Amino acid sequence: MTEQHPTSGIDERVHQRHRLGILTITAEAQRAEFGYLRDALGLTAGNLSKHLTVLEEAGMIQVEKGYAGRRPRTWVRITRPGRAALAAELAALTELLRRHATIGHTGPEEGRGSA
Amino acid sequence: MSNEGNEATDPETGPETGGQADLLGEMRVLRQRARTARHAYWFPLVLFGLLIGASAPFYLQLYLSPGRATGAAGPGPQLPVLGGAFSGSAVQHYLGYYWLVALLGGLLLTLLWYRRNARRVGLQTPARGYVITVAVLTALALVVPLLSQARSPNWLHHLQVLWPGDLVVRGTFPFVIIAAGLWALAWAERSRALVAIAAVYSAAALLASLYNVENLLFRLGWNPGPGDWDLTSLPNVLLPALVLLAAGAGAFAVQRRQRAAA
Repeated sequence: MTEQHPTSGIDERVHQRHRLGILTITAEAQRAEFGYLRDALGLTAGNLSKHLTVLEEAGMIQVEKGYAGRRPRTWVRITRPGRAALAAELAALTELLRRHATIGHTGPEEGRGSA
Repeated sequence: MSNEGNEATDPETGPETGGQADLLGEMRVLRQRARTARHAYWFPLVLFGLLIGASAPFYLQLYLSPGRATGAAGPGPQLPVLGGAFSGSAVQHYLGYYWLVALLGGLLLTLLWYRRNARRVGLQTPARGYVITVAVLTALALVVPLLSQARSPNWLHHLQVLWPGDLVVRGTFPFVIIAAGLWALAWAERSRALVAIAAVYSAAALLASLYNVENLLFRLGWNPGPGDWDLTSLPNVLLPALVLLAAGAGAFAVQRRQRAAA
């Protein structure tokens, strides 16, 4: 059986710096507030909303709206498929790095021959 | 991170190695920052340290006063797992009730603290495991002694093995419940420092439950006279309290510095 290339484990909805950041942060907490995500990722509110919509439509996050006193608050919670997608993406990236390192050590010819 | 919403390197063509390493590095930084930002465990450490310290009057061994027999005075405690096997004085008689209120009150205050911290920081710590651990152990400590006294069915009597006498006899089993809660909190906080604190505190709680800590002080030169015998149970209480208070003060200083630096 041929070994799958690590890029086959990459989901294009997740393979984006900011969406990967959203999943990484929300995986660290029970839920993350919109303002924290915006500041941590250095995004505008509109841009963050677009990324959240992509992830929400993919079923990777849940968006909860509520109030803290009179102030509206939006909380983001990662779902089980979201955690799985994050783990798969990080594993694929790590594996790609490992392959690059192996090829770098053995040289391109040997690396190609051993694949 | 940049403010662009552009896509990352195309997976078809394969991203640059440096890009992958940078991306993984950025995710590590984001994860570490989020973890540090939501750490707020200094409060439960200080709170339970204070609650243990405040319980000290209940442990004064008045029943060791001259002319009174150990453990013979007064009726038995109402909550034997939380309150211990002896009930030497009127105050000591209510130790179980004190711990019932303190454990549940401490649990509630800790939950409120984490909710407040979530609103302030923007990240909520999953405290469900901590709540379940403390609530279930407290409920079992209440229910199991009652069930094990039931005459039928017979197997209920064997529930007593869940509570080894050595662990509950001094009335310090609530310390062990707090230790279990700290382990659950360390998991929720993903904090190695809290794991270390939980390990040290657990050792202190088990020592206080299984051994008379005053013996250690005796070797260090503390030799209480008959008038001070009522104080000899206090080292068992004050040792775990001091561990939690010192750890809580240290965690407060560290977490404040980290917030200021962020």
